[in-house]
Amino acid sequence: MHIPDGYLSPGTCAALYAGAAPFWWVALRRLRKTLHTRLVPRLSLFAAFSFVVMMFNIPLPGGTTGHAVGVALATIVLGPSASILAISTALVIQAFFFGDGGITALGANCFNMAVVGSLVAFLVYRAVAGRAPLESSRRVVAAGLAGYAAINASALLTALEFGIQPLLFRDASGAPLYCPYPIGIAVPAMMLGHLTIAGIAELVMTGGVVAFLQRTDAALLAATAGRGVVASSNAEFGGAAGSLRPLWITLGFLLVLTPLGLLAGGAAWGEWRTSDFADPAARDAMTAASLGHAPPAAAPGGLARLASVWTAPLSGYAPPFLRSPTVGYALSAMFGAGLVLLAVTGVAAVLRVRQRSGTAHDTESV
Amino acid sequence: MTGKARTPRGFVERTIDGLLHAMERAVSAEAGAAGAGWIQRLDPRVKLAGLLSLVAAVALSHRADVIAALLGLGIALAIASRVPLATLLSGVWLAAVGLSGALALPAVFLTPGRTVATLPPLGWTITAQGLTSAGYLILRVAAAATFGFLLVFTTRWSHVLKALRAFRLPLVFVVVLAMTYRYILLLLEAAHDMFVARRSRTVGRLTAGERRRVVTQSAGVLLAKSLHLSGEVFLAMQARGFRGEVYLLDDFAMARADWLALVCFAAAAAAAVWVGR
Amino acid sequence: MNLFEIESLTYRFNRIVALDGLSMAIPAGTRVGLLGANGSGKSTLLRILDGLYFPESGQVRFLGEPLTEQRFGADAFAHQFRRRVGMVFQNPDVQLFNTTVFDEVAFGPLQLRWTAADVRARVMDTLERFRLAHLKDRVPQRLSGGEKKRVALASVLVMDPEVLLLDEPTDALDPRSQSQLIDLLMGWTDGSKSVITATHHLGILEEIADRCFVLDHGRLVAERTPADLLQDQELLDRTNLIHVHRHRHGAAQVHSHPHTHGL
Repeated sequence: MHIPDGYLSPGTCAALYAGAAPFWWVALRRLRKTLHTRLVPRLSLFAAFSFVVMMFNIPLPGGTTGHAVGVALATIVLGPSASILAISTALVIQAFFFGDGGITALGANCFNMAVVGSLVAFLVYRAVAGRAPLESSRRVVAAGLAGYAAINASALLTALEFGIQPLLFRDASGAPLYCPYPIGIAVPAMMLGHLTIAGIAELVMTGGVVAFLQRTDAALLAATAGRGVVASSNAEFGGAAGSLRPLWITLGFLLVLTPLGLLAGGAAWGEWRTSDFADPAARDAMTAASLGHAPPAAAPGGLARLASVWTAPLSGYAPPFLRSPTVGYALSAMFGAGLVLLAVTGVAAVLRVRQRSGTAHDTESV
Repeated sequence: MTGKARTPRGFVERTIDGLLHAMERAVSAEAGAAGAGWIQRLDPRVKLAGLLSLVAAVALSHRADVIAALLGLGIALAIASRVPLATLLSGVWLAAVGLSGALALPAVFLTPGRTVATLPPLGWTITAQGLTSAGYLILRVAAAATFGFLLVFTTRWSHVLKALRAFRLPLVFVVVLAMTYRYILLLLEAAHDMFVARRSRTVGRLTAGERRRVVTQSAGVLLAKSLHLSGEVFLAMQARGFRGEVYLLDDFAMARADWLALVCFAAAAAAAVWVGR
Repeated sequence: MNLFEIESLTYRFNRIVALDGLSMAIPAGTRVGLLGANGSGKSTLLRILDGLYFPESGQVRFLGEPLTEQRFGADAFAHQFRRRVGMVFQNPDVQLFNTTVFDEVAFGPLQLRWTAADVRARVMDTLERFRLAHLKDRVPQRLSGGEKKRVALASVLVMDPEVLLLDEPTDALDPRSQSQLIDLLMGWTDGSKSVITATHHLGILEEIADRCFVLDHGRLVAERTPADLLQDQELLDRTNLIHVHRHRHGAAQVHSHPHTHGL
């Protein structure tokens, strides 16, 4: 998943460096406060560990092997801020020293893997693990899922970054200047490998190591255990163990970036209205997005039948009372993200209630 | 029974190979940096700025011939620095270019545009735009990788970092990068020893679960070792006076050759960007 | 005045008691041996003496001044202590955390805020004294065990400390490097410097120490001269510093008597 030089335009690279930089800065600020002078050796050793672990061949079901990035493991043991910096450090050394991943693409790789990977892993791990005791098997499951989700989120982002290149950057003759594969090819191509091989590798590595640590030194899992589970000097978040505030800030930041979707221009592939099939301008757009294949003369029967079943309240993404499409887009995104968050929090809350009604007991860290 | 039985290349074997390869790479980079070539002697700040600006020029060019010229420049510099071309090939091209070549191949057929040829048995069309696009990709990857390789193979890692510091990279990142590099080598050896010991203890076939457990246990042990080590290193740093601020020595001074080289690098990069815009 | 005064020191790692109400007084200007089997608390004690760990209860005084975490919070105190007291760790990889040998030796003086010119001069001088000048640009990883130990020593002695704390210095050293180290320590007998060597290696005791303290399970059990200590087989056996098993010397008969390994 390491993007080499030449696949992303300089503009995309610069944008992703700019995207990663605030996270680096904030992570550094937070860590300085909690780790103080311990920061340097702790980050360095963990970055070195991540680097080496990325080289392990992990046997997977089906006889294949894969590699894990270890981002979820870093997040669970060190917390998301330290994970962002440690994985970024490992990526820098891989890029400069081993040519694994480009130098102009370093910002992109760090953003996709270190930043988004850590945050997604943290969100999923905390949502699934809840307040389970440090040694419970639920944490192993949570860890595995966190790894799987993180890698696939990173892969999806990478695929999207690839996919918009041919759309935006072509030379005079129309040849793509950087990655030549549009979203329609880039996404399935990348996701296939990651949903199956790389994602499972990450799942196995993260879950397996967490299970091992539970047996040998469970205190190492204390940093991200959440409020009330354990108090430990390892905890990155100090007194407010498990504060999710950075997550909200991040989400807010990403939401503000959603208008980038407008850059893609036109309709996303496959998201056409039945009326588009009759409109010549829309047909041209469809042809261009489908690699030169012209759409059928009339809307497919199934589409025509089902299109009228559901009229979305925010159809067209712009609430009617707003003039500017950009503001409407961003608002819709926030609303949509809010709904998703509500759903995730609701599920987590339900899981918590069910756990409490069982034999819930807190473990004490050594 | 006749014939030689081939040792199956299982995951342990491949991991060991990967680790060895990484260690060798680090060793040869150090040897390269001590070499007598022209580039080795330049001020690290000039090398950093110059080579990175050439990488940027590679990214900014919109013309394949310009990128090819930059690639040629990179190869010429490699020869001038006495970097053995075999190392360049195996260290850079096989991996980066081979991979990109494979990735670019479908683009030749899939990119829409003016048809140039058709592949008879399958009826796939090759477009001019597809060829150009594949060309861009492979040339860019090769050129950028060559410049990056040159930087690391002609400059000691500690100097690369101090040069980054001169360009205002925050001190804490520089110190972390330095220490990470130093301990990567240690952990590579530790991991290598673990897997070799594991291989020597394994008799017969392991189940899938056991195999996975070998990897996760090794990773777990390595993790615990890393964290323990970080605590000890912290104590050692404190024992020698570290209290949060790190102070580095400024080693560099620009000679005439350095200024000349800087001007040449800048001119080459600027020309490439201008012609290739 | 005593170099270090230790009163009822207790230190725990989680639930394991490393030091258990330890009390002792270490005289200044001598070479002291801190003896004990693994787990007796020697390393922990050295770290407390170096102001790296702070005890749960009890007190440590360095030349009459108590060593507390607050005192180390002040720049002035910390700087002068770090210069006057140097420690060489058992595992050199822990102590060699810079990317080149030169940078490693320069680290201490730089942290003490010496001028660049002073640092360079002193580092080169130290490297030459320890015959490391030809290695100054090497990465620590690629050095031999003996070379690493020399770099570790150099990086501490560059600051010319008054007190040197050594944790198992002969550990994993080849015989030649061991004897070089012992030569160095033997040379420090003029009373201006103090050395405290923690070891379980009895073979070198008489060369490197004038006074010995024996620790067992976190407590002080004896204070002797090396000669007296080496005679006291019962004590040595009780504290697990020697063992008894059957063996043979050259072509002689198989027999057994108390002894220790390694020289």
